[in-house]
Amino acid sequence: MDVLVSLAVNGLATGMLIFLLAAGLTLIFGLMDVLNFAHGGLFIWGAYTGVWAYHMTDSFLLGIGTAIVIGLALGLVTERLIVRPVYGSHVQQILITLGFMLVLQECIKVVFGPDQKVVSPPSYLEGSFVVGDIVFINYRLFIIVIGLVIFFAFYYLFKKTRVGLIVRAGVMNKEMIQSLGINIKLVFMLVFMVGAALAALSGMLHAAYSGVIYAEMGLEFSILAFIVVVIGGMGNFKGSLFAALLVGLTQAFMAYYVPALSLATNMLLMAIVLVFRPQGLFALR
Amino acid sequence: MNLRTIEKSTWVYLAIAFLLFVVPFLVTGRSIQFLIIQIFVFGIFAMSYDLLLGYTGIISFGHVMFFGVGAYSTAVLFDRFEPTIFTFGLAILVSAIIAGVVSFIVGILTLRLKSHFYAMLTLALAGLFLVGAEKWRKVTGGSDGFTFGLPDMLRDSFTLYMLSALSLVLLFFGLRRMTKSPFGKVLVAIRENESRTESLGYQVLHYKVIVSVVSGVVASYSGVLYILSLRFVDTSVFATDLTIDVLLMTIIGGVGTLIGPIIGASLIEFAHHWLSDLSDVHWLFERWIILYGTIFILIVVFFPKGIVGTLADRYIRWRARRTE
Amino acid sequence: MSDFLELRHMKANIEQYHILHDITFRVPKGEVTVLLGRNGAGKTTTLRSIMGLNPVVGGSLTFKGESIRNLKPHQIANKGIGYVPEDQGIFYDLTVGENMRVAMKKENGETKARMEWILDLFPDLKKFWNKPGGQLSGGQKQMLAISRAYVNDNELLLIDEPSKGLAPIVVEKVMESIHQMKEQTTIVLVEQNFMMASGIGDRFYIIDDGQTVQSGQMNELKQDGVLLQKYLGIS
Repeated sequence: MDVLVSLAVNGLATGMLIFLLAAGLTLIFGLMDVLNFAHGGLFIWGAYTGVWAYHMTDSFLLGIGTAIVIGLALGLVTERLIVRPVYGSHVQQILITLGFMLVLQECIKVVFGPDQKVVSPPSYLEGSFVVGDIVFINYRLFIIVIGLVIFFAFYYLFKKTRVGLIVRAGVMNKEMIQSLGINIKLVFMLVFMVGAALAALSGMLHAAYSGVIYAEMGLEFSILAFIVVVIGGMGNFKGSLFAALLVGLTQAFMAYYVPALSLATNMLLMAIVLVFRPQGLFALR
Repeated sequence: MNLRTIEKSTWVYLAIAFLLFVVPFLVTGRSIQFLIIQIFVFGIFAMSYDLLLGYTGIISFGHVMFFGVGAYSTAVLFDRFEPTIFTFGLAILVSAIIAGVVSFIVGILTLRLKSHFYAMLTLALAGLFLVGAEKWRKVTGGSDGFTFGLPDMLRDSFTLYMLSALSLVLLFFGLRRMTKSPFGKVLVAIRENESRTESLGYQVLHYKVIVSVVSGVVASYSGVLYILSLRFVDTSVFATDLTIDVLLMTIIGGVGTLIGPIIGASLIEFAHHWLSDLSDVHWLFERWIILYGTIFILIVVFFPKGIVGTLADRYIRWRARRTE
Repeated sequence: MSDFLELRHMKANIEQYHILHDITFRVPKGEVTVLLGRNGAGKTTTLRSIMGLNPVVGGSLTFKGESIRNLKPHQIANKGIGYVPEDQGIFYDLTVGENMRVAMKKENGETKARMEWILDLFPDLKKFWNKPGGQLSGGQKQMLAISRAYVNDNELLLIDEPSKGLAPIVVEKVMESIHQMKEQTTIVLVEQNFMMASGIGDRFYIIDDGQTVQSGQMNELKQDGVLLQKYLGIS
């Protein structure tokens, strides 16, 4: 029993981390239809700059704040210089965002050095407590809470406002949405920046979770995020959350019970979902 | 055959093809010949990708699985059987069948849906092939890989060069023929406007599945050639990096041109070769990947349709202005 | 009193080609002004230029006495101009309801009342509220497009060929609805179907080869066989 619960908590925490990264991609890829391979680059920049600020000031919160600010700024730069000229063309998006991803990744090595960096959570989030026979690790619970907060914030925002509809309409017909009085360029830019900030935030939270950061982790994790967005049903937060938790939980349980297959878990899961429910778990319609 | 009906461009391509066969008599260095063989191999691989992306508008993130299937089938057969020409033929056949069946199934399952699904399912399957190759140690040797013997004929770098060059040339003309045929016209129609093509009465799904199969089989053949030149196989033939490479080759060269991907393959192979050597010259070049990434960005800015596509556009506009 | 919408010697390009040379017309408040002319004369480009979707390279463009020539499309829309493009501009993957929601700038009592009024006028929209816009019939798409422009409190509607490609009975329905909206708002209508245009138009302008060449009251035009023959090919 205690094994089951701690596996579940592990899985949920991993799933939430994946969700935070996928949430940004839900906006950028799911809604705006941009194949943004540079998403992982925003993730590592969030991680490195956040950790740097955290170590400099000894304040974890300042680290998170730095990551978000860097995410917003890089999002602004990425949208204006890299993505804006290629809206609507997947082929060009792949090439230019992959190129930018490589630049972001290598610049990390230039600025922060090529070696891995070790990180640990702040003292007030470190440690664990025991209920019955079950050990709860504080930082994991913290991540689960943050993930839920972000989820409900965005879920509510999109349910109550027209933002989601406007973005989707803007992708379909840019001229028409402008003729309805909406500054679609500004909307796209802001949505992209928010997506980038989410990526950076998840990078920072992930850094303290895994305890070590390295430049290549961006691409690895962004592939996971793409998987989650697709099996979640493209562009909806509920789908992304469930898909991310599913990926996290399956990973945790497979790693414990069927370690031989754990490497294949994500791909297997995606293949199964796509074959049996090709529109994704929670299609928009 | 009436020679006058042959297009001018065909003569140009034939002349270039002829030059390819002369090169090994002039350039005899083994390492440079090896580099050129790699270009041919990846040229074929990238052409197969262009059929999907350029001619039909299908994005795949797991094209490497067909390449890997070709590579492993060949290596395993040469490892298990006598290294003869017959085994070589068998290897081509087996890899074509496996690639054909896999691409057929993937196509049937996902090509009805929006393009993301084909991309993602191929990504998933390629990942599973990679894990499979790592875990099925008895046959694949796991991540350590294994070396294998080749028939005497294929051991020679000159023969291998000729074989790859001939394959590239024949496949280029064959695929070019296909894309210029009525069948190819339907593919382009699908890329431009799928629902309109459907409403004109074409079974869009059939066409897409056929392309997916042809592309998979050609890709598996490039894997066969690749592994012949290496005489060693490991799990890197299933690595996502290769899919990314082939994607870049196709896009940089110019999608939907067939010749573009070959040019893209040459550029990327040369870039890998030279740029990574630069790190010996100056420490700054250790970060040569920054340069590499910047080049991609600049290509999208200055050659939005790839090198061949954009140059062709400019040429057409220049001719139009001259005749005005 | 200056006119509601006024174009003076407007010139506009599409890419490097000069499409509009000299478009001059005035739209008085509360009237329906019809732009007539052959295919390719520049009527659609005129509407697009007013909306800011097409660069204006010369002349002036004023709305309520204020220049709108250098404004962006969304700024022009927010001055109170609604636009129904030639292709209707329906967001295909969004449902009818979502199409309407995207268009609604405010959700207050007034917009709700207008929405009620629209749904009474076009019961089809209510019926297919949850159907994707792309699956509607041509007439339903046209009704949705007009409703989207009308649901906000726009003072001016630009409607591009609402009868195009529709069955005669549907055309009548659409024209009838425009007739009813005329009570509330000013309308500029591009129309090839002269019978329809003459039914609801107050004033007309004829555009030929990128220039406004004739204008007058609609009921005068109906009598003027020579003019009709010359520019519209109607005898």
